[in-house]
Amino acid sequence: MISFKIDGQSVEGKEGAHILEVALDAGIEIPHLCYNESVKPYGACRLCLVEVTKKGRSRMTTSCNYPVMEEIEVFTQSEKVLRARRMIIELLVSMCPGDKLLQEMAAKMGVQEFRFKKEDKDCILCGLCARVCDEVVGAHAIQFASRGDRREMVPPFGGEAMDCIACGACVVVCPVDVVRMKEEGDERTIIRWKHTLKMKSCKVCGNYFAPWFQLEKFREKAKLPKDFYDVCYTCRS
Amino acid sequence: MMENLNVFAVRTLTQKEYFAPGHRSCQGCAEALAVRLVCKALGRNIIIAAATGCMEIVSSPLPFTSWRVPWFHCAFENTAAVASGIEVGLKVLMRKGRIPQKKIVTVGMAGDGGTADIGLQALSGALERGHDFIYVCTDNEAYMNTGIQRSSSTPFGASTTTSPAGKTKMGQITWKKNMAAIAAAHNIPYVATACPSYPMDLIQKVKKAADIKGAAYLHILSVCPTGWRSAPDLSIKLGRLAVETGTFPLYEVEHGRYHLNIDFPKLKPIKEYMKLQGRFRHLTEEMIEEIQARINHDYEQLRERDKRGF
Repeated sequence: MISFKIDGQSVEGKEGAHILEVALDAGIEIPHLCYNESVKPYGACRLCLVEVTKKGRSRMTTSCNYPVMEEIEVFTQSEKVLRARRMIIELLVSMCPGDKLLQEMAAKMGVQEFRFKKEDKDCILCGLCARVCDEVVGAHAIQFASRGDRREMVPPFGGEAMDCIACGACVVVCPVDVVRMKEEGDERTIIRWKHTLKMKSCKVCGNYFAPWFQLEKFREKAKLPKDFYDVCYTCRS
Repeated sequence: MMENLNVFAVRTLTQKEYFAPGHRSCQGCAEALAVRLVCKALGRNIIIAAATGCMEIVSSPLPFTSWRVPWFHCAFENTAAVASGIEVGLKVLMRKGRIPQKKIVTVGMAGDGGTADIGLQALSGALERGHDFIYVCTDNEAYMNTGIQRSSSTPFGASTTTSPAGKTKMGQITWKKNMAAIAAAHNIPYVATACPSYPMDLIQKVKKAADIKGAAYLHILSVCPTGWRSAPDLSIKLGRLAVETGTFPLYEVEHGRYHLNIDFPKLKPIKEYMKLQGRFRHLTEEMIEEIQARINHDYEQLRERDKRGF
């Protein structure tokens, strides 16, 4: 265990852990959007900025991907941090003015006016959906396209995400809730990735329980018999 | 929408456990699972006031505890009162600056006996006063921890030790009290029913309840293999069957607007749900038909409400 200080409070973290998870464990709140335990830290949203003092030198850094070390001191509420955080949330809100969660966060940090030109995007480009798709699901269906201010999260070539298995993991993790799913009759659509998959119905009860494509993939990977997914999870005895 | 999400969506949840393993609940207890998921969804900054009941007995035998979050054991009848006291206390302490300003969710947690029977007046008072807290009722349809005595939440026809099936009576002779409707009648911002067999749905509902300002009521069906006389490995399946047969529909009421979360083109016959449980095994065909008719009626009503919106 490595012990260090956050805001004067002594905390302990495992070797290889990052400041943000240790802080959250200790009940110290640091605002964050792009962090999820199940994937590697990425540092995209920059909201978890903290001031780290090491051997007398202080620097601003994202806490989600800064490893814990002996004899560091972390400040999450210093004037410098708060100012930087206010700037970041102001930029985020200017990029996605329609987002409720961002506006709430901004209000909490005391940001009232937004001085920048408003764009009409809804995605904050945290990349969490793509990272979950890569690391947790392993489907690699989506990825960032373009660079700089034209960067966006779109299905390949702006078309349809053909590798998407419509598992819904991206729908659950999206921090600003812009990836949405729709189920109508025997079809499930992940709206943002423009991908519609036919659902399989159970042979016994007739309810739709999962997309065909997804079940085929599972069956192939686990080398299951052909009729393995004929019945739904409830009807299987 | 979240009801049918499979293994991958669940893997993105936190791996931290706030309701620790090693507690003494029975094999196949879905209530422990429900409490674990509720704690997972709420995270660390919560205070739980829990009534006496299964979850109190199994999680806190002195000197052990399963709770990694602040947890308060209170009497049967005052769970909601204690929770509202905690909520107001926190508010005042924050206003006076004794503790730093941050979001701390207060949770009241009780079984069906502690909610529908004994704790009802405290709950009604707390909901009416509009405290900003979540009330979680883990409903296993009888007083399981003291030895399967009937509660007002026991379904019609179920055999319990105080409503035994015999020559003159066929188990419980009253219908299950509709607690979610009672809570919704208080005009609180959020009421929902959930079941741990649909974990993503349950977690989304708990998160929603925590985000909403004002009182929220969650009714969670928790299968109890001991009291329902069912095999412990069927708990998840029974939970799913309860939803798929229409016995326990999953819906939410937001500011009076009904929304059926999961709807099936065709409901399964209630018999499929009942034949797996020993507490229903004395029922005759006519009684099952009677129960089926009542469930169909209730479900149809709910569907209409979903369409109408209120």
